[in-house]
Amino acid sequence: MSSFHGLEMAKQALFAQRAALNTTGHNISNANTEGYSRQRVNFESASPYPVPGLNRPGMTGQMGTGVETGIIERIRNQFLDLQYRAENSKSGYWESKSDALHRLEQLMDEPSKSGVSHTMNQLWESLEELSADPDSTGAKSVVAQRSEAFANALNYAGESIESQRGDLKDEMGYAEKKVNSLIRQINDINEQVKQVETHGDLPNDLYDKRDRLIDELSGIVSIKVSYEKSSDRSLDIADGIATIELADSHGKSFGSADENTVLLDGETGEIQELNVSHADMDAQEAVSIITVGEQEFKVEDFQAKGSLMGHIHSYGYLSENGDVEGTHPELLDDMNKMAAAFVSEFNEEYRTSDKVDDEFSFFIIDEDTHGVKVNDKILDEPASIVASDEEYGDMASKLAEVFETSLEDLNGTSVNKYYESIIGDIGIKAQEANRMAENMNTLRSQVHSKRSSVSDVSLDEEMTNMIKFQHAYNAAARSMTTTDEMLDRIINNMGLVGR
Amino acid sequence: MRVTQGMISNNMLRNITSSYSKMEKYLDQLATGKKITLPSDDPVIATKGIGFRREVAGIEQYKRNTNEVNNWMDNSDAALDKTTKALQSLRELSVQASNGTYDKEERQNIAKEAEQLKEHLIDIGNTNVNGKYIFNGTNASEGDKPIDYEDGEIEIDSEGKKVMIEVAKGTKLQANVEPGSLFNEEMFDTIDSFINRLGEDNDESIDKSIEELDGVIDNTINARADLGARMNRLELVENRLDEQEVIAKATMSKNESVDFEEAITDLITQETMHRAALSAGSRIIQPSLVDFLK
Repeated sequence: MSSFHGLEMAKQALFAQRAALNTTGHNISNANTEGYSRQRVNFESASPYPVPGLNRPGMTGQMGTGVETGIIERIRNQFLDLQYRAENSKSGYWESKSDALHRLEQLMDEPSKSGVSHTMNQLWESLEELSADPDSTGAKSVVAQRSEAFANALNYAGESIESQRGDLKDEMGYAEKKVNSLIRQINDINEQVKQVETHGDLPNDLYDKRDRLIDELSGIVSIKVSYEKSSDRSLDIADGIATIELADSHGKSFGSADENTVLLDGETGEIQELNVSHADMDAQEAVSIITVGEQEFKVEDFQAKGSLMGHIHSYGYLSENGDVEGTHPELLDDMNKMAAAFVSEFNEEYRTSDKVDDEFSFFIIDEDTHGVKVNDKILDEPASIVASDEEYGDMASKLAEVFETSLEDLNGTSVNKYYESIIGDIGIKAQEANRMAENMNTLRSQVHSKRSSVSDVSLDEEMTNMIKFQHAYNAAARSMTTTDEMLDRIINNMGLVGR
Repeated sequence: MRVTQGMISNNMLRNITSSYSKMEKYLDQLATGKKITLPSDDPVIATKGIGFRREVAGIEQYKRNTNEVNNWMDNSDAALDKTTKALQSLRELSVQASNGTYDKEERQNIAKEAEQLKEHLIDIGNTNVNGKYIFNGTNASEGDKPIDYEDGEIEIDSEGKKVMIEVAKGTKLQANVEPGSLFNEEMFDTIDSFINRLGEDNDESIDKSIEELDGVIDNTINARADLGARMNRLELVENRLDEQEVIAKATMSKNESVDFEEAITDLITQETMHRAALSAGSRIIQPSLVDFLK
């Protein structure tokens, strides 16, 4: 064994402890970096001497030869990542639904003094008032005004819902772009990772960055990530190249034509872009199909849940049987149905009087826009309203009763009850979405906690480690001094008898 | 389990945020006085709330209608009172005239008074309240007086019918005195014939007038009794509506309104918990090992 072996061993020790101190410093600096996983130096004891063989020297073996710094690895549990991304997707879906329904609730504004039901009550009151005093021009004016207010309230509700749909469409567009942009970024990182891994190193910071991007992606669409070795010379513990496929809420891949839907193929570096297409259905736009590369999916077959799906379910999509389904279009539909049924019954009732022309419509609905209008004649000449047909105020009474009449077009309920059920429906849907969003959030936080527990930097721990490495460094320096003194004795003071 | 400072501070933030949102909810409740602000807070309360509002609005409207009916009935009653008095006066005159001691001049004076009373009755018959001729039935606002008196000719319009006004769901009350039941040909023919008979000198025919006038007075009393009965019915309906209004408003309030004592207590409890969370959290997140290492 070499005489300078002791010096060499101390030197290796100094390097090793310094590397550990560096890593500790790196951890402390990145304590608050989003998505950072703490890193750790693996110390390994160097190969002992002598190596077994026929020509082995006859000395006491096996002598340890010091420390070797292995690789610097990050502490991360990939299973927790998997769990987190699953919860994140579900959370994304319910949050976006809850958001859309919340805005819908606020716009309907019930129960209150400014919603549609208030205008319905007011119109009813004015008709009752007219029935008690059918010749009063004042009462007729009020009926005309309240009718207009009712029509305006209906139209305003319809327009606001459409405007919110416009917002949802924009959000879907952003989500789509975001997905494609994230995939491209992940692809870039794959390239960089490959370069580093081929040299037998671990690109920890790139791994962190890639995981952060994949987390973000999982919120928009639920995905499945698989890793492949980047090259033969990569370490076994290296993460490798990521391949990203679309998955359903249970984490299983799906696809059309028995093929999985691959967004990013790690091996080939190929990207398939996600695209959401729209089509018109009865003058209403809705999502028609979603394409990923060459594969096409109808919305019901696209099983990736996430905020994108949440937006689509609210905005509206073409279903299997050709209808437009979705929270917003269905609400619009119900409101239009209610308005149409009411107007048709109201007009018919009004025409039963001989004093009213058979073709006269009190309310008019535009076929294309579904907007409701009061006949101009009523607005310009309220005195022309017929309040009494055969008896005192009977026409006004009958018109007031239309609100309570069971209408066939509304499946046998009255306008009043139908509107109540519309609001109840929205309320229940919103309540469910809120509850689910809260639950999913809680689950996600729990996994996030577990992940933090494993990978986050604990400053106290790093401080303790720092002390540890510092002591070891000092001790190694001391041992070097000792070896130095020993060598000095041999070199300078041996063989000098009597001098 | 390994716990880091990051986890503790995140947890603390999350708990404080959730505490704030609970306090916000109670503040909202206290400020608006309602348990819910959006249907999603409680869809059942929201749906019922719409129904109850409609109920209360309905009862209020029916109360307004009863006012209208009151208007008709009160005015009709007052008019009938005057009518009765005028007819009583006529009867007195007729009794006087049947006394054979009156001579031609005195009879003429009676005739003049009777004429005035007739015109008075015509005025009562044409009572107009708020633009409506209340004895013209359903033709009340059509501008025509029910009794047209020109050049000594009387024309009676009795086409109008009963005025039915809805005072509760499905309940309609007749608000007026049916035209043609009182101020009709019978009444004015009787008076006219009385006046004519005064011009003659026949005691027996005046006796007949007394009888006829009695008949007309009976008619008036009957009409008034009928009206009185309907006024009693109206009062019962009004009482019922008052009760219903109280009940409906109470139900609506029970459904939606927040119990103030409960909400204030909840708010104070939440405030206390919030302060405790803040205090505990700040004690824990501040110290670290760095403070103690030399």
